[in-house]
Amino acid sequence: MSMKPQAGGNRKPGGSNSGAAAASGTGGAGGGVGRQNMGRGRNNAKGPSTAVAFNGVYANMRMVHVLTSVVGTKCELKVKNGLIYEGVFKTYGPECDIVLDAAHRKSVEPNAGPRREDIVESIIFKSSDVVVVHFKDVDLNYAKKVSSDTDNFTDSAVSARVNGEHKEKDLEPWDGGEQHISGSMESLDTDLSNGWDPDEMFKYNEETYGVKSTYDSSLSSYTVPLERDNSEEFLKREARASQLAEEIEASATYKARVALENDDRSEEEKYTAVVRGERELHSLNRENKYIPPSQRNREAGMSWGAGRQVSPRMVQCSPGPPTPRSGPHDYNTIDQRVVNGGAQPWPSRCPSPSSRPPSRYQSGPTNSLPPRAATPTRPPSRPPSRPSRPLSHPSAHGTSGPLSNMPKRLSSEGPPRMSPKSQRTPRPHRVASCRGGGPPPSDYMSQGASVEVSAPPPTRNSPSGGTWSSVVSGAHRPRSPRQNSIGGEAPSSSCLSSPQAGTVPVDSVTASTTATSPTAANPATNLEASPIEEAKESRVLETRQNSPNANKENVKPIEASPGIARSIGKGSPSMASDHRKQIDNLKKFSAAFRLQPSSSSDPGFEAMGTKPPRDLGEKPKDQAAEKGSVDSTGLKASTESSISEETSSPVSVTSAGSKAGTPSLSPSSAVPEQKRGPDVTSQGVQTTSPLANAVTKDKDEKEDKNDPVAESVRKSTLNPNAKEFNPRVFCSPPKPATTPTLTRPQGQPSPSIVVQQPPTVYGQTMFQMYPLTPVSPGVQKSIIWKPPAMYHVQVPHMTMSQTKSYRSGKVQNMPQQRPDQHHPPGTSTMMHSATAAGPPIVAPSPAYSTQYFTCSPQQFASQPLVQQMPHYQSQAQHVFSPVIQGSARMITPPTHAQPSLVSSSTTQYGEQTHTMYVSQTPIPQQFPHPSSTLHPHPQHPQPSATPTGQPQQGTQHGGSHPAPSPVQHQQHQAAAAAAAQAIHLGNPQQQQMYSALAATPPSMTPGPNPQSPQASFPSAQQAVYIHPQHGYNPNHMAHVQQAHMQSGMVPPHHGNPSHPPTMMLMATQAPAGPQPALPQGTLNPIPVSSGTHFYSTLTPVQAHHQQQL
Amino acid sequence: MAAPGPGEYFSVGSHVSCLTCLGQRLQGEVVAFDYPSKMLTLKCPSSSGKPNLSDVILINLAYVSEVDIINDRTETPPPLASLNISKLANRARTEKEDKLSQAYAISAGVSIEGQQLFQTIHKTIKDCKWQEKNIIVMDDVVISPPYQVENCKGKEGSALSHIRKIVEKHFRDVESQKTMQRSQAQQTQKDSSLSS
Repeated sequence: MSMKPQAGGNRKPGGSNSGAAAASGTGGAGGGVGRQNMGRGRNNAKGPSTAVAFNGVYANMRMVHVLTSVVGTKCELKVKNGLIYEGVFKTYGPECDIVLDAAHRKSVEPNAGPRREDIVESIIFKSSDVVVVHFKDVDLNYAKKVSSDTDNFTDSAVSARVNGEHKEKDLEPWDGGEQHISGSMESLDTDLSNGWDPDEMFKYNEETYGVKSTYDSSLSSYTVPLERDNSEEFLKREARASQLAEEIEASATYKARVALENDDRSEEEKYTAVVRGERELHSLNRENKYIPPSQRNREAGMSWGAGRQVSPRMVQCSPGPPTPRSGPHDYNTIDQRVVNGGAQPWPSRCPSPSSRPPSRYQSGPTNSLPPRAATPTRPPSRPPSRPSRPLSHPSAHGTSGPLSNMPKRLSSEGPPRMSPKSQRTPRPHRVASCRGGGPPPSDYMSQGASVEVSAPPPTRNSPSGGTWSSVVSGAHRPRSPRQNSIGGEAPSSSCLSSPQAGTVPVDSVTASTTATSPTAANPATNLEASPIEEAKESRVLETRQNSPNANKENVKPIEASPGIARSIGKGSPSMASDHRKQIDNLKKFSAAFRLQPSSSSDPGFEAMGTKPPRDLGEKPKDQAAEKGSVDSTGLKASTESSISEETSSPVSVTSAGSKAGTPSLSPSSAVPEQKRGPDVTSQGVQTTSPLANAVTKDKDEKEDKNDPVAESVRKSTLNPNAKEFNPRVFCSPPKPATTPTLTRPQGQPSPSIVVQQPPTVYGQTMFQMYPLTPVSPGVQKSIIWKPPAMYHVQVPHMTMSQTKSYRSGKVQNMPQQRPDQHHPPGTSTMMHSATAAGPPIVAPSPAYSTQYFTCSPQQFASQPLVQQMPHYQSQAQHVFSPVIQGSARMITPPTHAQPSLVSSSTTQYGEQTHTMYVSQTPIPQQFPHPSSTLHPHPQHPQPSATPTGQPQQGTQHGGSHPAPSPVQHQQHQAAAAAAAQAIHLGNPQQQQMYSALAATPPSMTPGPNPQSPQASFPSAQQAVYIHPQHGYNPNHMAHVQQAHMQSGMVPPHHGNPSHPPTMMLMATQAPAGPQPALPQGTLNPIPVSSGTHFYSTLTPVQAHHQQQL
Repeated sequence: MAAPGPGEYFSVGSHVSCLTCLGQRLQGEVVAFDYPSKMLTLKCPSSSGKPNLSDVILINLAYVSEVDIINDRTETPPPLASLNISKLANRARTEKEDKLSQAYAISAGVSIEGQQLFQTIHKTIKDCKWQEKNIIVMDDVVISPPYQVENCKGKEGSALSHIRKIVEKHFRDVESQKTMQRSQAQQTQKDSSLSS
């Protein structure tokens, strides 16, 4: 009952404020504890006055809202003793005290108005005294109406004024009625005459109204007719007039104005019509899926160089660097082409990756089978590489060596896909290896590790890396990481992409998956595509070499792409012959690589590039034939590299060693090749990356770089491979198969030109992408940048991995490539591994695709950023990719067995891969493959499928994994190296798979690198296969993939006790700390140094990935 | 102080009826409920029957019994719209001024008829005020007691005629509103005045 009359209560302001505050915080439901707390917190923050506001009732949003909305209305307030006070509700306190203005006690007299003296200006009623407050005839919407001062004319304000009574008018279509339509309406459309003719009007008026017009056409009332005469004066004037008239009419301004007046186009056409360009059409054509403008831009960006968008794509594409950039368009085109040629999967993958993870996924699903096929194709390639690797690796690699190699490969692979850096790194590796000059394998190893790693990679990588890193810091990284993680490409992608896009990993993964899926869809195509890619790469290289202008080259590549497609088509048919040719080419390449190693990195690369092209000539023929010797050379280089890789890979990888004695030399190269090859094959990305690298290299040094590029390409491919490997790894049992398949994919391409052709196609696409990048450096750069970051990371990794890998047998192989690309390779490998890991997680093929994509972005990025360096890298990558392809080819022969499992032809490989992947779940197939291919064996340990390889792989993996784990990149590298050694050698694809599985996790990288292509497949497979892989993976891959799938990286770690686990661990470790991973790997020491770098760059990315994951 | 939270006694949107300690039966839709202060806000149809308006009742549950939830509503209440505080403040100020103005007139001894007329005119023409017992409309027309049509004086014109119409209509309405309290009172006075 305590009424406290007050004059203009102090609380009023506060009340209003509180009310306002409360009002401002609309949204909230009934005030809850949380709210109150919130309110209190706010109060504290705001200060005493506000604090009061949020106490008690003020914390109850709804109460505040209601009471505030009735402020200013008359109300009757009943107090405990039954008295009724009437007044204007002014405000209320936190304890729900009511303040009435101009309040008076309601008199008994009904109508008697309050007397002036009865009215109290303000009364505060304690809530404890208030029984009921009755607000009569309140318009609750009153205050909702927007004040006329603010937005009186907004739609909401206008509609609000309707006071809620207004209902939207039902719009009715206007019907002019049949009569009108038949008459006047149509006449308006059909009547071309400009209204009435004057004479008709006059006539009508005269007839109808009797009005006679006085109109005189001579206008004599207004002017005077010209009097013509023949006097000179007049003639002169007339001539003068005509001259002036001519001048005026000839003027551009006049024409423009006349054109405006006479333009037949409607205003809509001229100003408002939305015209869909080819780009959009491409995107639309890709899969009839809706592509967000941003993606379109990205795609366009690829061509146009839409910075971030592109970069994202790049990241996503990272799996297949080449494809990523050009990816969208190229892939599209390629896809289409491929589709024609049966490479649809790839195209889809490529596009999807490039476009976006989702799209990729979509494509993946659609292409799920194709991806598998693609993955198979990749796997085949991997297997070959693996065999080669195993051979080399077993001896040299041990754990660390292989790991290092694998990581490198992975990184190299990853880079291409993930980031230009990776691609670059690969190239550098090669260059380095070349520089190292020594024996191809050993030289690569040692050289790559020492020379390349130390000098070239750092410089390139660091420079690019710097930019990349910056880029990476951007959203790209997140995406890429996601992609990686998602893709399971973790190794490669994680390395490359992960850095790029911490959050993106998933995307990347998706991309990878999509990419993989495309690959899967295009298994055959993939195989073919991989060949194509290789061809493209080679072409690109050639083009780059031949035509410095990346754009031109790109264009050419595009043009060539058809050719590639053709080649693919051809290749597919003549897979066996192609494979043989590829093998031969690979052999040649291996020789060339050896030469390259002997020669300084550049020289060697050049030699490699040149020689490879020649050697590859045949292979290129299919692919490059169209484009030219350069492309062919590039292909050759790639093939050579692949061959060398095969040879070296065997040596270094040893795991694969069983596969090929040739690998001895090629192990390193083979590994790179495998990785590269996988990348390339897996997704145009690798090829593209190679291309990009090639482009960049072209700028730097076409010839020398070409080789490096090839290496880089290989590396890039490695990245894809890494992914693939990862997937395979995941499908440990499958891995063998997958690896084989992966190798096959590569091998398929190589074996059958077809496979390479697809790569070439991708490469072309990549090239296109490259051109795009050149066109819009900024965009590309941005894209590239991210990749660069990857590269940076990779670089360290590369160095690390290179040193390690190189040192180790397989590593050496990797190193070779890496040497050129050292850091880039490392990054690439890392990326690859990440990508590979990513892909593996999702699906092998997807991983590949993703890896490719990622790689391609990277490549693009690398190209744009470090066009020179990138060119080298790109070239190197290209070469690598070719090499990889070659390795793949090399593998393919071995893989043939795998193919036999799946199918004999490269297309079969694709199928095989598919089957493999599919079968991955079915471990058995994988086993067969593994058995057939060395790769499987290495991976087998995990899968158990590959008996021989398993031990080595296990060791290698273990070693590699540890190393990779420290830093994702390192991990990737290490993992890649390890995987490369173990997996790569044995099952590059598997490693990729691991990487893919690990996606973000570096651990994955190992597998991915070698298997980058394969990895990409795995990624694709992961997406699609993941489950299957799990089945397969029960071993490493499965776990990794699963893990990736589940939680990104962590699960994989858990899942894969063996290699995959290591991979996973790596991935996890990478996030946690690169160092741990390093320690794990024998490479650790090296990795540590490089690892730190990687970690720095990578870690963030990885972190992002993880976070994203 | 755990607000309505989990054990929310009244969910927004549900219909509740209760009996106050003063014997008044209240029923309406829950608009808000504050557990700490035991304050419940109900919304019910306008007592005047106007569709656009509604009555809002703030109830202190400490003095209420027989609280029944007629029907509960699980739907999440609609989001709260932001309020135009300045508009509310202006309304409060004007309402207060009007009331004070009216009270001033009342205190001046103005008859109820005059007050009612003033209210009626005020509804249409805001520019009206009391001057002693005279109603000044638009500074032109002065209506002096007993506030009949003929009492409207001022410059001849539209304004005067318009005011006269209002006044005429006002009393006509008052006549017809005998049922109403105010009208009843007016009637008595009116009758008396007429009779007189």
